[in-house]
Parts: sequence; C-alpha cells; structure tokens
Amino acid sequence: MSGLFQEAIFVSLLAATIRIATPLLLSAMGELVTQRAGIWNVGVEGTMLTGAFIAYIAYAVSGDHLTAFALAISAAMVLGAITAFLSVTLRVDHFITGLGINLLASGLTLFWFRSFVKGKAQPTFDSIGTVPFPYLSDIPVIGSVLFDQRLLTYAAFALVPVVWAFLYRTRTGLELRALGENPAALDTMGLNVVARQYAATIFGSALTGLGGAFLMLGFSDRFVPELSAGRGWLVVVALIAGNWHPLRVTSAVLAFSFLESVATHSQAIGAAVPYQLLLALPYVISIAIIVMARGKSRQPAALGESYSRS
Amino acid sequence: MHIKLEQRHGSSLLWQGASYGLAILAGFVATAMLLKLSSADVTTAFEALFRGALGSQRAMLRTLVAATPLILTGLAAVVVFRARIWSIGQEGQVYAGAMGAYWVASSLADAPLVVVGPLAIAGAMLGGATMSGIAALLRNRYEVNEIFSTVMLNYIIVYLLSFLLSGGPWTEAGTTVAYHQTPLLAQTAWLPHLAGPLHAGILIALLAAIAVHLLLERTSSGYDMRALGANQTALRFMGMDVPRIVLVTMLLSGALAGLAGGVELLGVQHRLKADYLFGLGYGGIIVAMVGGLRPAGTVAVAILFGGLSSGAVDMRIQSGVPDSLIQAMQGTILLFVLCGTALARYRLTWSSAK
Repeated sequence: MSGLFQEAIFVSLLAATIRIATPLLLSAMGELVTQRAGIWNVGVEGTMLTGAFIAYIAYAVSGDHLTAFALAISAAMVLGAITAFLSVTLRVDHFITGLGINLLASGLTLFWFRSFVKGKAQPTFDSIGTVPFPYLSDIPVIGSVLFDQRLLTYAAFALVPVVWAFLYRTRTGLELRALGENPAALDTMGLNVVARQYAATIFGSALTGLGGAFLMLGFSDRFVPELSAGRGWLVVVALIAGNWHPLRVTSAVLAFSFLESVATHSQAIGAAVPYQLLLALPYVISIAIIVMARGKSRQPAALGESYSRS
Repeated sequence: MHIKLEQRHGSSLLWQGASYGLAILAGFVATAMLLKLSSADVTTAFEALFRGALGSQRAMLRTLVAATPLILTGLAAVVVFRARIWSIGQEGQVYAGAMGAYWVASSLADAPLVVVGPLAIAGAMLGGATMSGIAALLRNRYEVNEIFSTVMLNYIIVYLLSFLLSGGPWTEAGTTVAYHQTPLLAQTAWLPHLAGPLHAGILIALLAAIAVHLLLERTSSGYDMRALGANQTALRFMGMDVPRIVLVTMLLSGALAGLAGGVELLGVQHRLKADYLFGLGYGGIIVAMVGGLRPAGTVAVAILFGGLSSGAVDMRIQSGVPDSLIQAMQGTILLFVLCGTALARYRLTWSSAK
C-alpha cells in the first residue's frame, strides 16, 4: 500500500469524524443548556429524528435548504414546547416525558414517511456541498480535515465557545446554571423559573432539530425510518461523559464520531471484523464511558426534578 | 379571567379511569385528523380497520395473535416500571428471546414438539433475561443508569442479529444475503394452533399476566418490587438488599420480553428475521403505560392495539393507508394518556382577573 493512499484514508477518516460530529455537537450544545437548567430531556432521539424527517419533507417539496432547516427547527421547537409543558407545567416524570416524545416522533415520522413515498419513487438528493475556507483549506492534511467542511460544521464548532461564554460569563447563564442546582433560590429572588425552563428546553430542542436536519441534508441521500439511529441517545451520554461542561462534552462527541468514522471506513482500512460489529462499537463504548465517568460526576443537583413551590 | 391548575387532594379512581378513556378517544380523533391531512378517506380507512380487527371470527382470532407478543412485552414493562426501574430494553430483549428460541429449536431439529417446545420457550426466556441481566449488573456493579445500558443494548443486539443473518452463521443457505433471514424451522418446533390462526402463545401470555398480577399483589417479592418503586431510600434503610431486588425484577422483565420474541418466532413466523420483531418492545411500553401499569389493563390495551395492527393490514389493502398509522396512533394515545393522567391530579379553577 502506497504512503499516499494511506494518507488519503487518514484524511478521509478525520474529515468524516468532523462531519459526523456536526449534528451531535449542535444537539449536545443545545441539550447542555437544557440540562443545566434542570430539565432532563431524554426525548433528544425523537426530536433529532423529527428534525431530520421534516427537513427531508420540506426539501423534497420546496427544494430550498433554508426552508428545510427553518421548518425542521420549528417542528423540533414544538416538541420542545410539549416536553416543557409535560415536565415543567404538568410535572410528569422527565424520563416518562422523553419516552413519550421519542415514541410519538417514531410513530408519526414512520407514518408520514410511508404516506409520502406511497406509490412513487423515493426522492433522493445531493447533500449540501462543502465550503472550503480560502487559504486555510490549502494546508496539507489539516486543511482538508478542518477547513473543507460544510457551513453548519463551522457553525457547530463555533457554538462551543459561544455556549461556554453564555453559561460562564453572562448573568443569564449564571441564572440558568443556578436553575439546575437550586430552582428555589431563583424563585425566592423573584425570577421566573417556569419561563426560563421553557426557554432552555425549546432552545435545546431547536438545536437538536437543526442537528437532525444536518444529519439528513448534510450526509444522507434519502430518508430511512429511524434515520437518527441512536445519535440522540449518544448526545445524552456525551453530556454525562463530559460532565456537563462544553469542552469535555465536545471531546466525548468527537470520540463517538471517530468510532463511527472508523466503522464506515473499515473496508478501506482493511479491518477483519464484520462491519455490523464495528457499527455497534459506539454503543458498546458509550456504556464503557459511563462506567469510567462514574464517581466523578458533577451533575446539576436538581436535574430531572420538577420544581414545585409547595 | 384567570385559569389556574390546582393539585387535587386524593385523586379519585373515577377521574383516573375517565382520563384513560378520554385519552384513548382523543388519540382516535387525532388519528382521524392525521388521515385527513394525508388526504385519505377517513371513513373508508377506519371502517376497513375495524372490520379487519373485529369483522369476523377469523379477524378476532388474528387480533388475539397480534396481541400475544404485546401482552408479554407490556407485562415486561409493567414489572420494571412499577419498581421505577427505567428499563427500555424490551425491544432488544424480544430480539434476544427470538434468537435464544431459534438457537435451541434449530439445534434440536429432530426432536418431537414436547421436547423442543418447552426447551425453545426456555431458550427465549433465557435470551431475554441475559440482556436485562447485563443491564442489571451494570447498574448494581458500575452505577450505569439502566436507561442508557438498555438503549445501547437495543442497538447492539440489532447489529449482532444483522451480522448473524447476513453473512454470519445463521444466514439462509442458497439464497442471496439480501433476505436477512434464517431458513424455516422444522415443523416439530412450531407452536400448536388452538383455532384457525390462533396459536398456543396466547395461553402463555394470559398465564403470564395472571402470574405477574399474583406476584405483584400477593407475594413478598412483588411487595419488594413495588416498595422499590415507592421509596428506594426507605428500603435501603430497612436493610433490604436493593441490588438483589433490581436484579430479580430485571431478570423477570427480560424473561417476559424474551418470551414475546420466542412465541412470535415459534407461533407465527417460524423463521428469524429482524423486520418481524420490530416495534414489539416499544409497543409493549406504550401498552403498559396506557394500561395503567396493571396486568389486567395491559392485557386489555394489548388486545386493543393488537386489533388495530391486525386491522391495519386490511386498511392498507382496501384504502391504501400505510399500516404504520398504528404506530402513529399509539404514540399519540400515549402522549394524551401522559397529559390526561397528569391533569387528573389537578383541578382547573377559574377566577376573575385580579
């Protein structure tokens, strides 16, 4: 095997890692804000699936990427509002709420998809093109890995310092973090707990929906039922593994993405393991990661507990 | 005017019951609207659906066949959720159960039914229990929240099965790999039929429902499980072995879900194929929740949903509406039930604006 060929695989492997990380990272930054506000949203999987599906339908009908992204985000925000209504207003157990959202999304997208493609060929389309950074993309290896990506990929990585600055350097961010630790304290200060938790949940869902839309339009040529395939769950695990800190969560997301990239490159690399078993690897590793993260966890104290004055 | 939610003190059983009924009704109305949106003829579709579910004796028997695995996965969910163990691994445990049953039945191809049947059923329970047992050990030994372990195991088992069926040792010989299925099992491993399409699996499911009811309400193990759900800390202070209760509950739940996979394999499909088993586990979770986490309610709702999914085939043929309408309907009903049962805890109060 020539050195040039090996380098090409290496570059492709890393570039794919960055691409695969994009939807996970968008969602993880959104859900980080949601969870820091004390809302334990486990409906991420269903919300991401909905974002992907709505983006598919909207793009197939309109042929316009912006419309597709806007509608995917809106649909995900509706799910976020339902999540908040159930877990904040009605104080349904957060796990049960998320489970309901996942099953609802799974059923509705499956039915709508089957109705949409009934009796006609499944529309397929080209995924969004890359936008190389001028000059930077010419750097060998690093240029092709980091600076020849899609616009949303740059946006997803730019979001990490933004979310960090929001959480740790603004008053609103401080209040939000306090909300996940001790909502009663905020309530005593006369700050509106319910409104903030609604906003945080809807914000997280919007970004998860955007991630789902990217998953569809960024690197799939067609929709398949359950397109999200557990990525929403990996996001939730990444938050735990990253101890609810933006930078560490990003590392966890990159680790998962690298594993998936390895699985999709297994033939090129010449791995002797069946590809199905390699595809199962991120899920196996995610359990191992939770095992390793135990004991060091600093999860928000009031995460998953519905706040009630009485 | 000012509308306010106020907590009810001691919510009445009548309200609880009514909220379930209303939620199911709301689910049907929402589904009708969904059909309207997809520009289908609502009346034709619903008529075909109900005729397919209840229109003839044969239709009713088919309804019971479809309800059988849902009763078992529903019971699997009841057991863990009553103990507030949030296992959502029923889906994967169904696959593991079918795999266990297939492994036993295909290894004993020459033995008579009286030998293969019980052993294959045991294989199914063992398969499901192995999956849930792993999750229980991960929780007890390594503090891994069962939500994540069970979700991840669901994905892992699907990839494992996919490997076994396409290229792996269980791939049907002589066909292209694209079928992703095993050959048919020998007829000696098929469950006997009671009447028409109805196979003996329904008896297993109903016996399981009675057993789970008795276990939860009449035995000390059942009491421990419910106590775990009510107050884990208190249980620990009482010196109870919480990890053991978690393990027993999870093993039982996994065995029930595995049984669903085994019964579906031995009673209906007679060959292993992932598509045949898809959604039975998640469907069971909905059945359990809509059934109020009670065995009797679970059986009733499983028969309702079994009827819907069996009628959906007729609906698709006669009106062209995709049978996945049922999944959409189940998801919608679940969400209404969540709202309904939560709202039943409150009362709305109106007062004039301050």
